[in-house]
Amino acid sequence: MLPSEMMAGDGRSRSYAARLISDWHMGDRSRLARLLIVFLVVAAAAMFAASIMTGAADASLANVLRWLLGMESAEQALSVRDRIIILDIRLPRAVLGLLVGASLAVSGAVMQGLFRNPLADPGLVGVSSGASLGAVLLIVLGSSFFGPLFAVFGFYALPVAAFVGGLITTLLLYKIATRSGQTSVATMLLAGIALGALAGAVTGVLIFMADDKQLRDLTFWGLGSLAGANWMKILSAGPIILISLAVVPFLARGLNALTLGEAAAFHMGIPVQRLKNIAIVSVAASTGASVAVSGGIGFVGIVVPHVLRMVIGPDHRYLLPASALLGGTLLIFADMIARTIVPPAELPIGIITAFAGAPFFLWILLRGRSHMGL
Amino acid sequence: MIKASNLSVRLSGTQVLHGVNIEAAAGQLTAIVGPNGSGKTTSLKAIAGEVPYDGTVSINSHNITTLKPWELALKRAVLPQSTVISFPFTVREIVRMGLSVGAKADAADTDRIARDALEAVDLSGFAGRFYQELSGGEQQRVQLARALCQIWEPVQHGEPSFLLLDEPVSSLDIRHQLTIMRLARGFCERGGGVIAIMHDLNLTAMFADRMIMMKAGRVHATGHPNEVMTDAVMEAVFGCAMRVNATPVGNVPFVLPHTAA
Repeated sequence: MLPSEMMAGDGRSRSYAARLISDWHMGDRSRLARLLIVFLVVAAAAMFAASIMTGAADASLANVLRWLLGMESAEQALSVRDRIIILDIRLPRAVLGLLVGASLAVSGAVMQGLFRNPLADPGLVGVSSGASLGAVLLIVLGSSFFGPLFAVFGFYALPVAAFVGGLITTLLLYKIATRSGQTSVATMLLAGIALGALAGAVTGVLIFMADDKQLRDLTFWGLGSLAGANWMKILSAGPIILISLAVVPFLARGLNALTLGEAAAFHMGIPVQRLKNIAIVSVAASTGASVAVSGGIGFVGIVVPHVLRMVIGPDHRYLLPASALLGGTLLIFADMIARTIVPPAELPIGIITAFAGAPFFLWILLRGRSHMGL
Repeated sequence: MIKASNLSVRLSGTQVLHGVNIEAAAGQLTAIVGPNGSGKTTSLKAIAGEVPYDGTVSINSHNITTLKPWELALKRAVLPQSTVISFPFTVREIVRMGLSVGAKADAADTDRIARDALEAVDLSGFAGRFYQELSGGEQQRVQLARALCQIWEPVQHGEPSFLLLDEPVSSLDIRHQLTIMRLARGFCERGGGVIAIMHDLNLTAMFADRMIMMKAGRVHATGHPNEVMTDAVMEAVFGCAMRVNATPVGNVPFVLPHTAA
């Protein structure tokens, strides 16, 4: 055994920290990234538990755990009312928060990789507006125009409509902003504003046409909220989100290569067109599904990947799973604030994420202007 | 060997290449030279399989259109003119991207290759630096190290690998111009092949085995630098009358702008 190996065997914790630091100086952040992912798994679990326990009804961790683990009969641990609150309100809400947060953060990261720019985000460049338009179209014109769609897709119709809306916007955006393999940031952001405004205008017309019942269904899209979370929504959007999240790890190496440009990625053996197609469909699917169940929740997709890049770097093999975890955790946290800050009322979660995210976005802009081709 | 026959390329309506033939043998440094806009980069892009073309391009007798991107990536690596990145990658992370392509070596091996590649481009100790904070010349050398990692063995499974370099020394100081040209030569001497687009004719004459002189989308002259760099060719291709001289030792041709009429 070499002397250096023996030293590594001695003080393990000290040498682990030392290795992290020496890796960092060598430009190797993979060990740090793996450590952070483990930490984020723990954080997500803790936040999930905290969310289930937070709220007006009393459900302490000990009681919930005892009940869930079947250590005590339900009646002893929790009252019937508390059980309903936990099982049918808080649990689906936390699950939906985790799913939607993960989906928003990952679609942000994938889109940023696809456009090779840290400012691309489905919310900012109009993809969410397009998805909303799809959903609103379905709600307002639903029974008269899209009867067959309901027949085929059942309760998946809404996420599917939002997916189609998001997909069309993403494709248009990509066509407009990318010329011979180079994406212009200015064109992308401006085209995103135009497409978002257009989708917003059409949505406005539809809202104008809507009747009272439809209006009530529509209202929450503008705000973004997890308030309507129930198991039905999770069943309709969850599979779409999970499938598009499951595809994403296979894009990681390609997205890394793509940061050097489309030509360079091709030189490095990446089937670029296929990569882009999969990335676009996956972004549109997860954005669409998220918008369908929770409306437009902004800034998660831009803030989460950016913070993570500062810590573990832009390597998508680590960035994508870390984004999913941190996105889910942060959205559950934002939701906890949303439902406890002005009791007994609830603030739409989109307001919280905008309050935290918009200044952060400005800070990114001012700090990194030179690196982003602006 | 790389063989491009009868290459024609149209880019946004303009015919950029008119039936160009380019051959590059393993063990040789083939330099493409010529005035701005003569089709050098487009030729290289066609050979890399990056732009649509008429004609055929083969690498080691495989038509490149029959190869998958990842198969092609094991046979040739490409250094583009400049690469702008908007994410904060470290030098090490960029260089190792080249390693994710080839046959999987074990971790110790990939570490060694990445380190050796950085050393080869004279960037030892730069692994932990951020790519975006480097100068243009340093960035170019990082990209070269990345390309080198992709085809680290000049001969793989009995087949030569090829480096396609688009102006590899254009933004480098004189010391690093020599470093990189020697590196390219070394790659050839170990059995690989290099095609390099060059602007510096003197440097080309020092290092190239074959010189391909292009003009207006066609190959004007091809051969050993001594055959290609003549007063007549210089005037015909660049449109300025210049005296080509040769070093007393080694008879390497050189041309000084001072001699232009």
